[in-house]
Amino acid sequence: MSNYLKLVNFELSRFMKLYVVMICFTIIMQITGVIVKSKSYMGLANEEMYKNMMSKTEFINQHGEFSFYWLTQSIWFMGPIALCGAALLFYMFLIWYRDWLGKNTFIYRLLMIPTARMNVYLAKATTIFLMVIGMVALQLALFPVEAVVMQWMVPVDFRLDLNILQTIFSLNFAAVLFPLTPTEFFLWYGAGAMSILVIFTAILFERSFRWKGILIGVVYIALSVGLLMLPVLIDEFFMYGYLYPIELVGITIVMGLLVTGMSLFTSHYLLNKKVTV
Amino acid sequence: MLEVKDLKKKFGRKQVLKGVSFTAKKGEITCLIGINGVGKTTILNAIMRLTAINGGQILLNGESITKKSYEKITFIPDAITVMPHMKISEAMQFMDDFYDCWNEKRATELLDFFKLNANDRVSSLSKGNTAKVNLLLGLAMDVDYVLMDEPFSGIDMFSREKIAEVFTTHLIEDRGVIITTHEISDIEHLIDHVVLLDNGRVLKEFATEEVREQEGKSVVDVMREVYQA
Repeated sequence: MSNYLKLVNFELSRFMKLYVVMICFTIIMQITGVIVKSKSYMGLANEEMYKNMMSKTEFINQHGEFSFYWLTQSIWFMGPIALCGAALLFYMFLIWYRDWLGKNTFIYRLLMIPTARMNVYLAKATTIFLMVIGMVALQLALFPVEAVVMQWMVPVDFRLDLNILQTIFSLNFAAVLFPLTPTEFFLWYGAGAMSILVIFTAILFERSFRWKGILIGVVYIALSVGLLMLPVLIDEFFMYGYLYPIELVGITIVMGLLVTGMSLFTSHYLLNKKVTV
Repeated sequence: MLEVKDLKKKFGRKQVLKGVSFTAKKGEITCLIGINGVGKTTILNAIMRLTAINGGQILLNGESITKKSYEKITFIPDAITVMPHMKISEAMQFMDDFYDCWNEKRATELLDFFKLNANDRVSSLSKGNTAKVNLLLGLAMDVDYVLMDEPFSGIDMFSREKIAEVFTTHLIEDRGVIITTHEISDIEHLIDHVVLLDNGRVLKEFATEEVREQEGKSVVDVMREVYQA
């Protein structure tokens, strides 16, 4: 356990510089976005009211009140989220390959640590998971800050103040990133954790069997997705409406646990018996 | 005792090791010799479980190699095994964090011996000094066996002399060493036991002292005899 925690700490510190850059980028982009969007809204309001002699009520009726929704639909808000998501996805591969490839082959050290090799694997998976949770927490913390900036920029008559829950509801991807119940949290984040393990297993296939491993890895990912989707596919195409929705969810969870267990077992085997430096 | 028994390894269709067996004892320097591609590095990787094997057994004091064995046996590969942005001191701290057998006192001694600066980053070091950092990290552990893969490869004469000097100091003590090298002349006088490899098999295995005393031959003489036959 102690070695696992040390490894998690080590992996986190390796990624920290890039992570801090991602955090700063998100904060700067989104706050700038609030300012730009607010200014543009107020610019439009001024133009309509002073140049075109439109009343405040007419303007609001025509253009709507300025709310957080305006920001969430812009590149200023979605851009950093998409970029951070892409960076974390890329890092899922980089976290393994940078230890193998290049001039410095740190994988020698990692595999020769006197601890179960699964600790290395789980530490890398935990790091990715914590990074995702961290980014989501950052976004949650940013909402009130951005709301305050918006309140500074847009007079109360022109804006519609939303609380955090209303803001989250206004986002398309809210249900996945910001689950509102513990069950939803376990479902979505469990699926995320499972995906990390499936991709890690595919990477280990490649690291064990090289060119053949790429094919095996792709087949493994397809098989995992297939297994997970199996209950839904059977219900949709062969036994339509046979299962209650709750039963379908239950069976899908069981399949998810099966895929997770299969990934852990396969990775354990590959790391201990097949992987090559 | 470190025993390699009937070790077999295939890369694709090519059988690189066809049943290699030898034994390395504590307190002795065993040298694996053979041309490039004969499987010397593969043997060391296999001992450390860094590559899968297709047959055979590797035993440390009669037991299979497990994660616990990494506290008794260390490997100094012919590759930089620390991250480039790490300072030498950080690499030493990493070892201290994970290995019970890490000997801080000896590490500091080795740092002085190799005239390295703990605050230097690995990426800023020359090839010779990087090799010395690798050696430092391996030798500063209180282990029974040290595996070294081509420790003199691509290194200038003075660095080679400094590395060879390690073998005559207390820094090696009574540990068992398995070394692969093409620079036999640098350490010929220090080797106790030689394993000559060719075509995936052990061609000849001998104690240098015996060959020197009984036949009046050096390691290089025996190599010429065996490989040119």
